[in-house]
Amino acid sequence: MKLRSVTLCNVRRFAGTVEVGPIADGLNVLSDANEQGKSTLFDAIQALFFAPHGSASKEVKSLRPYSGGAPEVSAVVETADGVFTLSKRWLGKAQAQVHRGDRLIAQGGAAEDWISALVTGGEAGPSGLIWVRQGLLGLSEGTQKEREATLNARRDLLSSVTGEVEQLTGGRRMDAALTLCRKELLDYATATGRPRKDGPWNAAEERLAEVTARRDALQKAVEDLHDALALRKRRRAELAEIEDPQAIALRKDRLEAAEKAFETAKTHADALASQAQKVDIARLSVTSLTARQTERREVEAEVAEASAALAQIAARCTVSRDAVTEAELARQHSARISASAQTASKEAAALCRKVRDHAAARQGQARRAELAERLRLAEIARSAAEEARAQTVGGLDEKALRQLERLASEMQQARAVRDAAAPQVSVSYEAGQTGRVTLNGAPVEAPLALPEGGVFALPGIGELHLRVAGGEAQKAQVARAEQAFHEALAARNLPSLDAAQRAAEQHAAALRRAEEAATRLETLAPKGLEPLHADLAAIPALTSDETLPDADAAENALVAASDAALSAQEADVRAAATLAQAESRLSGDLAAQAAAADRKRRADARLAALPPEAPEGLADQLRRAVLTLEAEEALLRDKSAAAPDLIGAKTTRDRLRSVAEKTETERVSLREDLAKLETQISLAAESGVEEALAEATETQTAAARTLAHIQFEVQVLRRLLDALEQARAEARDRYFAPVAKELRPLLHLLWPDAELEWEDQTLLPSHLVRDGQSEALDILSGGTQEQIALLVRLAFARMLAHAGRPAPVILDDALIFSDDTRIERMFDALHRQAGDLQILVLSCRQRAFRDLGGHKLVLRPR
Amino acid sequence: MCSRLILGRRGGVFMAEFRFIHSSDLHLGRRFASMQQASDDNLRGRLMEARFDAIAKLAGVARAEGAGHILLAGDTFDTPAPSAAVLRQALAAMRDEPGVQWWLLPGNHDNLREAEPLWQHIAQQGGETIHPLLRAVPVEIAPGVTLLPCPITHRDMGRDPSADLPAMPSPEGNLRLGLAHGGVVDFTESGAHIPPDRDRSARLDYLALGDWHGGVEVSARTHYSGSPEQDRFTHGQRGHCLSVTLTTPGQAPHLRKVETGTFLWQQKDCALLPGQDAVEVLQRLLPTSGRRAVLLRVLASGRCRLPDQAALTEAAAEAAPEFAYFELRSDALALDYETADLDAIDKGGALRMAANALRAAAEDDAAAAEDRAIAGAALGRLYAYVRAGAE
Repeated sequence: MKLRSVTLCNVRRFAGTVEVGPIADGLNVLSDANEQGKSTLFDAIQALFFAPHGSASKEVKSLRPYSGGAPEVSAVVETADGVFTLSKRWLGKAQAQVHRGDRLIAQGGAAEDWISALVTGGEAGPSGLIWVRQGLLGLSEGTQKEREATLNARRDLLSSVTGEVEQLTGGRRMDAALTLCRKELLDYATATGRPRKDGPWNAAEERLAEVTARRDALQKAVEDLHDALALRKRRRAELAEIEDPQAIALRKDRLEAAEKAFETAKTHADALASQAQKVDIARLSVTSLTARQTERREVEAEVAEASAALAQIAARCTVSRDAVTEAELARQHSARISASAQTASKEAAALCRKVRDHAAARQGQARRAELAERLRLAEIARSAAEEARAQTVGGLDEKALRQLERLASEMQQARAVRDAAAPQVSVSYEAGQTGRVTLNGAPVEAPLALPEGGVFALPGIGELHLRVAGGEAQKAQVARAEQAFHEALAARNLPSLDAAQRAAEQHAAALRRAEEAATRLETLAPKGLEPLHADLAAIPALTSDETLPDADAAENALVAASDAALSAQEADVRAAATLAQAESRLSGDLAAQAAAADRKRRADARLAALPPEAPEGLADQLRRAVLTLEAEEALLRDKSAAAPDLIGAKTTRDRLRSVAEKTETERVSLREDLAKLETQISLAAESGVEEALAEATETQTAAARTLAHIQFEVQVLRRLLDALEQARAEARDRYFAPVAKELRPLLHLLWPDAELEWEDQTLLPSHLVRDGQSEALDILSGGTQEQIALLVRLAFARMLAHAGRPAPVILDDALIFSDDTRIERMFDALHRQAGDLQILVLSCRQRAFRDLGGHKLVLRPR
Repeated sequence: MCSRLILGRRGGVFMAEFRFIHSSDLHLGRRFASMQQASDDNLRGRLMEARFDAIAKLAGVARAEGAGHILLAGDTFDTPAPSAAVLRQALAAMRDEPGVQWWLLPGNHDNLREAEPLWQHIAQQGGETIHPLLRAVPVEIAPGVTLLPCPITHRDMGRDPSADLPAMPSPEGNLRLGLAHGGVVDFTESGAHIPPDRDRSARLDYLALGDWHGGVEVSARTHYSGSPEQDRFTHGQRGHCLSVTLTTPGQAPHLRKVETGTFLWQQKDCALLPGQDAVEVLQRLLPTSGRRAVLLRVLASGRCRLPDQAALTEAAAEAAPEFAYFELRSDALALDYETADLDAIDKGGALRMAANALRAAAEDDAAAAEDRAIAGAALGRLYAYVRAGAE
């Protein structure tokens, strides 16, 4: 379709009839100032194609002229079937008509259908026209309703312009299916696929968990009930067994029999114990008599044996005494010989030592002289050091001197201060005057300080007595300084500071001398004088000239004497040993003799201590006691053989007593248990726990079935949603490829290498990609946004034209934010597209659009 | 009520006809918690109440049949420990029926071991007309009629519960009437079943059995009465009881089946062939009246197209509120994905691409069965979406 002319009558500011046309192919430009009717023309064209003539909508009413009346719009269009005139009138005597030439071919509703089919192919929507409204850049303006309307319009632009688009994208039916599917899925699941908190899926899961927990609890209660029933059955059986009268009587009889058996056994056991005591007594008597008999026999034997031993040891003692006497004589002889040999050996040793000392003295005389000289010099040094140190005692050391000098200095300073503060006097003599004034006898000329209490002698005049007042503090200071100085001198018994200095010098000299002497002494006797004396004494002096034997002879004589002394000593030792042995033997024999005598005495004593009884009587007593013992033992054996089992009887009695007590305890316990079980069973049975379990089990099954059904439903919805979205994405890719192909060269007029990204839901461009950077359109400048909007529509128009369905492109002040450079390029784009499109540009920017070129249009009255 | 009509004298004993009601498996107290509530939100309560009503209905049948004894062959209660309300209301309902003696045999659900308090209560407080049969010993319930009960002692006895019957004595000339609970088919080969010839081996004139909820004739003298009120889709008939008449020992019993059930549990197959009108097939299956007392499960199977499936589902949803319970199971229904059906979704474009992808996944034999089912259901849902949008 192409527009050839548009006529407006009674539309807004146009009270009369105005016309635009003829409209040519390619680019048409209506550039005029504001308020000249460009937007009115745009709205009128839109109303003609999309507002039913019976409509009284806001948009239609907005077309009414200011003076009132019914707006009319008509247009001449050219299609492949020919040229037609479309006209509509709204609000008053509303009508719609389609003429072909002068022939009316449709009017009213038929005309509306005709027009609708022309621009939409049957579906309502602006498909036959592509326009960019003044300032309408995207979806951000207007109310929600307006944005939705815009979105629908643009969707229509994509989905209903051609049948292909509809088929490819699914259009509204696809949207409806997706909406329904998403809505139903959203009832079950969140966007992340989890069960919606307030949805049936989550409710089914919670329900299943809840009924499962309840069923488990009931199952446990039922099992408890069954256990209680089984236990009650066992307890009842146990109690019946315990309380069985026959069993009770049997237990009682057995216990009484056991008690009786125990008493019998106990009585017999007492008798048996008594008989055992008799046996013990008889056995004790036999034992006692046997012991007495044995003891007497042993004591008599001991007496005899001790007597024999004593006689034998007495003989041995006599022999031992003789041996001792003989050994003593031999020892005396050997001792004398050994003493003589020892004396000879000592004399030989002394002579030998003397010979050795003499030889050593001769060898050490030089060393001895040197030692004596060193000792002498050392003694001198020591004396000098001691003398020097003695001189330093009580002397004035340097420290004391420094103190005296300090006191003297302080005294001089005090005096100087005092004198400086004192009044001074001086005399000037007249020329030729020979007399002199004296102060305390001394002539006064130069200025001098006035002494206190001074007397001036004035020759020829008399005396002048002076009394000076003031300077007390200075005088006191002088007095204290002088007193300190003199006290210090007196303390050291020194008359003056000079004397002190001399004494200090002497003290220092004495110290130096003492140090020098000490150094010498250290050199001569590093270890002191005593080692020197010892060394000197160690070297004997040659004192006599007696004749001494040869050293070897003396040594040989000494060896011979020593050997002789040693042999004699060994002989003496042997003799001493022999004597010791003899004495030891004698001593042993004497001790043995004493022991034998003691043994004899003790045996005699034991024998004497035994009761005087004849052995024959003791034997009779023992024989009678043995007979008694045998008789009692026989009785004991007989009673033992006939004794009942006391321990067994006691054990049996205790066991049966325990059984009786335990049975009673158990009976009480069983009754208590049964009472508890009865209560538990009664409560559970009354509450219908099994019935509740059966219900819970069925409820659980139903809940699981419901959940499975819901899960299946969710899977079905997800599967369907996936299939729909995937199909739509694939279709969109197919559809947008040609659009992108048409758009690319247009975009590159402004931005080389730029691409557009499309938003799935709105089907609008969402991002501009330049230099690898993706930028959302809504953050781009207004100029860039409007340029993209225009280029996109041009691309759509080109694509439609290529599909054989050309649609006019109407631009109502679509480029109001673009700068001069960009607008030039946009003009290039418009010209580029205008080759096979019809484009109507409406603009108030007369100067800017002057360079656009194209076919000029004007609104002119008709 | 006189239950024995004197006919003549034999061996010094007056012989007569003896009539009684044989029933079992009342399962009182069953709560039907697994049943989804129908639109009136009271199905479970109605089902529970119907089981209680069975007591009065059995008593009514007994009166109508001139029978003075009702033999309940086990599972009178659904659980070993029913609630106090269930137990006492049941006993009160039995006591309220004059002239009827109730003979209650413990079954596996209310076995002696687990239900000891239950039977203890019945024995102590049941009253003169309610007789719990707690031991396998003969009881002369009427002159010349010896009842030989075989109570279930454990939930799983592990042996033939009627094993004691042959050794149970009875006076010479008395009718021997066995009462037992358990299966006659040994599915597990455990030996814990009742031999089908037990009536002969135990010289019984009649063996009244319980456990199977549908009535079954094992032999001329051995019968399962079935439950007086059904509780499952297995049997396809309303609950009933047996009115049994015995004459002389050795003579075959005379039986009459009397319907007692309130609810009809039915499971019907809806086998579809491609091209069949699924809705018409379904409509033919539905009862024309009494739907409020019908619990119906329709098992759709065979093959159909997407529109047929959608129509079937819609028709089922339309009919469901009229029934006490209605369930359409389509697990076994395979879908044929015709091109025309996919065209109804879209002839091309993204919707058709999605439909084609789902169809391929649903028909992918290499895929897991669950994945195929999910894909098929997703395609059905897409079809429903698009159809709803079109309408």
